[in-house]
Amino acid sequence: MNWTAIALKNILRRPIRSILTVAGVGVAIAMLFNLLEFQRGYEKGLRSELSDLGAHIMIVPRGCPYEAATIVLHGGKWPRYMDEEWYQIVRGTEGIEASTAIIMDAIIRDGGRENLIYMGIDENYPSLRQSWRYASGDWFSGTQAAILGSSVARSMGVTAGGSITIEEKGRIPATEVTVAGVLERTNSQDDGLVFLPQHTMQQIFGLQGKLVMILVKLADVTQTEQVTAALRSASAEADAGMNIFPLSELLGTLTSLLSSTRVFVLAIVAVAFIIGGVGVLTTILMAVYERTREIGMMKAMGAAKSDIFRLIWLETLFTTIGGGVAGILLALLSGRGVVALLKTILPHTPADFALGMSGSTLAICMGVSVVLGVVAGTWPAWRAASISPITAIRGGSS
Amino acid sequence: MARGVHLTDHRNKGWFIVTRNGQLVHATGLSRTYTVGRREIPALRGVDFSINRGEFVVLLGPSGAGKTTTLNLVGGLDRPTGGSLSVAGEVVADGSVHAKESRLNALRREHLGFVFAEFHLLPTLSALENVQVPLIWADESGRDRAEALLCRVGLGHRLTHRPDELSGGEMQRVALARALINQPALLLADEPTANLDTNTRDEIFGLLRELSDEGLAILFATHDHELAERGDTVLRLSDGVIVHD
Ligand SMILES: Nc1ncnc2c1ncn2[C@@H]1O[C@H](COP(=O)(O)OP(=O)(O)OP(=O)(O)O)[C@@H](O)[C@H]1O
Ligand SMILES: [Mg+2]
Repeated sequence: MNWTAIALKNILRRPIRSILTVAGVGVAIAMLFNLLEFQRGYEKGLRSELSDLGAHIMIVPRGCPYEAATIVLHGGKWPRYMDEEWYQIVRGTEGIEASTAIIMDAIIRDGGRENLIYMGIDENYPSLRQSWRYASGDWFSGTQAAILGSSVARSMGVTAGGSITIEEKGRIPATEVTVAGVLERTNSQDDGLVFLPQHTMQQIFGLQGKLVMILVKLADVTQTEQVTAALRSASAEADAGMNIFPLSELLGTLTSLLSSTRVFVLAIVAVAFIIGGVGVLTTILMAVYERTREIGMMKAMGAAKSDIFRLIWLETLFTTIGGGVAGILLALLSGRGVVALLKTILPHTPADFALGMSGSTLAICMGVSVVLGVVAGTWPAWRAASISPITAIRGGSS
Repeated sequence: MARGVHLTDHRNKGWFIVTRNGQLVHATGLSRTYTVGRREIPALRGVDFSINRGEFVVLLGPSGAGKTTTLNLVGGLDRPTGGSLSVAGEVVADGSVHAKESRLNALRREHLGFVFAEFHLLPTLSALENVQVPLIWADESGRDRAEALLCRVGLGHRLTHRPDELSGGEMQRVALARALINQPALLLADEPTANLDTNTRDEIFGLLRELSDEGLAILFATHDHELAERGDTVLRLSDGVIVHD
């Protein structure tokens, strides 16, 4: 016999009540776990997405920068275009190691259910991508050629040497192009894109002389501020409506966009913890009242105040630690659902964004459950320790 | 009834704690007045008594006489309002000077055992586990001793039964074994047979008699005159004072 065994048996004495209490803590812990993992996963996903882009500065036409960011990162239809000449302004700026211009458009298929995104690129594009490798074939063989991302190639069932038809009823007449290459799987947005030579794309889509974005890679990253300033003044001089922003800034913009949501979720988590904690407190307090006579008898038999305090504290700790474990399991089970939900409500979510299980999150969640037990257990434990053995033994019968 | 186990251990322990004059318990002018609101209720008004090692003392008196009050004082569960009391070598009270709570805990833990009319067993634990409970705070393990004690009180065949699977008499035997697990010198028994039928009462009393013969001192409170004759000494308590006949 030891305190642990007695504490566990006491918890199991009222299984339903204990399960409900543990569940209350579990829900709060699961929410905390998801929140922490979300924050971590989101920032990590965003960072890797931005570094995949291989660029330091992004130039888009004037407009809402969030919208621009989403389109840059995921591809899509962009309602504003910039003049091809702007690219010359950018290229003429000092401190730039490489740059590429991009035109993008989407063809809606299956009555709007699916979007196939086309990207018109120049020969500089692959040099900015970290993972530009061919699974088969090679760079555009001629003007009427295409390079397919791995998942597009798979869904279309074509390989290098085959051909695809670009068409949208009423806008783009059917055009056949040869598949020059198929890319290796990258787990980035490239997997879902069809790449065309820039001029071919402009012709097919009727976007002659237009661009959607320019990506700039710097020779020296520490010069980001200076180059950005130089680009901005060049743009102003030429009266070009370029929206120039460094990607480090973009990361900040996107994460700050999240912080208001995060405060809100944190408030809900706090409320969940208060509810869970009060649940633990009342359950343990109730158990102490129910067992007044038992505890009084223990004291009569020589158990010290500190012994009784420890017993009740242990019971509380076991309850909240149980809640912590249950909460982590719940979080792991619900992670996918939470991500799916977040993708529908957040303005932008990174492509490979998932809730993982990091050591720090585990440690925080277990630490919080222990602290919760220590806090919620103190008052009931103190009450139990102060039970007077004579009054306890005298009252009622059992 | 198994007679194999003798409580020789506590006998040795007991010898050292006997007070100078050879008494395990010594009370002089012991009194306890309860205050309820402004009213003072003198439950015990200056009683003198002593208990020797191995002595079976029956504390006899009608309801309200102050029996429980006396046992609580001797057991260090309550503090007297007057008089002096020493138990097992520990000065529990001397006038207005009282022993510290930690000393009283230690006294109960090491030298005293309790049984009451109610059994106060932990419902989730087996008979054997219940007997071992006081060992937790004594930081000892004594499964064998617990088992031997249960055999000694005649419950060797009920070790794994939980309280709700035992009869009243059996539960009181478990409570008795639990009271003896730390090898006390003195057993404080507050009407332990009050909730039992006559046969069971006699069995339990007989068991206590045997234990006393083996060296355990017992202070047995009852209003049952029939039992009084079977102890070594009778203390007749009436309205908070000891009456001598
Ligand atoms: N906590 C208390 N507060 C006030 N009065 C008390 C308290 N405990 C006992 N008394 C009073 O002290 C007197 C003696 O009580 P005690 O419990 O010692 O009697 P008893 O001999 O054990 O009686 P019984 O046989 O009914 O158990 C009674 O008049 C009782 O009402
Ligand atoms: Mg009484």
